[in-house]
Amino acid sequence: MELDNFKNTWDEMSNQVKVNQNLNLKIFDKMSKNQFHSSLKKIVLPEIIGSIACFGFAIYVGFNFGKLGTIAYQITGLISILLFVILPLISLMSIQGLYKSADISKSYADTLKEFTIQKIRFCKLQKLNFTLCYLLAVTVILLSTKLFGSNHITDSKYFFLVSYGAGYIILQFVSKWVFKGYNKTIQKTENLLQELSVYNAQAAKQ
Amino acid sequence: MNKKDAFLTAIGDNQGLIFKVASVYTNSIEDRNDLMQEIIYQLWKSFDDFGQKSSLSTWMYRVAMNTAIYYLKLDKRKIKTFPLDEHFIDVKAMDNNEIEEKWQILKQHIDNLDLLDKGIVILYLENKSYEEIAQIIGISISNIGTKLSRIKGKLREKISKQL
Repeated sequence: MELDNFKNTWDEMSNQVKVNQNLNLKIFDKMSKNQFHSSLKKIVLPEIIGSIACFGFAIYVGFNFGKLGTIAYQITGLISILLFVILPLISLMSIQGLYKSADISKSYADTLKEFTIQKIRFCKLQKLNFTLCYLLAVTVILLSTKLFGSNHITDSKYFFLVSYGAGYIILQFVSKWVFKGYNKTIQKTENLLQELSVYNAQAAKQ
Repeated sequence: MNKKDAFLTAIGDNQGLIFKVASVYTNSIEDRNDLMQEIIYQLWKSFDDFGQKSSLSTWMYRVAMNTAIYYLKLDKRKIKTFPLDEHFIDVKAMDNNEIEEKWQILKQHIDNLDLLDKGIVILYLENKSYEEIAQIIGISISNIGTKLSRIKGKLREKISKQL
């Protein structure tokens, strides 16, 4: 039997299907955002969890403000509360920018352009966040001596030396690791957009 | 006619095309429906870029086949689709056993072809000219002729053995 003998069968198959004419374009909007956003979940989830924790710590310091005693400690307390609020706000703002760049009404090329702008903004804000984290670490270590009461650990003359040293090393390590992970996720999303943009642009031009 | 209406008309006129491409490149109803959804989505995304330098169906074939190949490449990380209501795609039950039987034979043999040959067979069955096939697939017209006669020979031999 020849391939040509199957042409009728092939044509007949077209009559076997009907794509719903009431197909709502909102579906595409949801599909687009679903695909785009799922690739950014690796960034969004830890940032949201971190933000909740920060707000929690801000409330904790606020409730225990009375324990801080001297004005110097109270100012440190206020700075830490401020940082615990500002840091997640910066994070959430930068994530919101990335999320908003998934706009179905634009072509892939425009989405990619917007995504690149938001990516640069995100990286700048994350760097600012990491810098502020060092300041936060200083205030938190200072406050811990008051909030967790005087004990043999905080009374030790090595406490500040060890905690600041360890804090600095841990922050260095964590910030580099997190930033690397975020960059990888963002790059993956960007590559996906780029790939789709290129092959559909080629298809349209040919 | 606005963009949405123009797109829906284009989809309506070429729904068989999307269905057949998706059927040939997948092996289950679930995968076929996912791929159909993805093809329609990709068509919608690049609808603005369609410059009418080629015919609508040529452009649709190109995007549909690129999407199918891309979909197969993704394989394990699989494209995440949005759950649609069950009436999104309505496939009629075949009322002709002979057609059903022939379709199954055709599909079984097309399944064994590589991605490029699959594409050539689909377009040949769709009565596209060698020039159009070459334009969509991206290889020379003479290459299409050579490949097609080789594919035909291969299919003839295999189908004859089965019948």
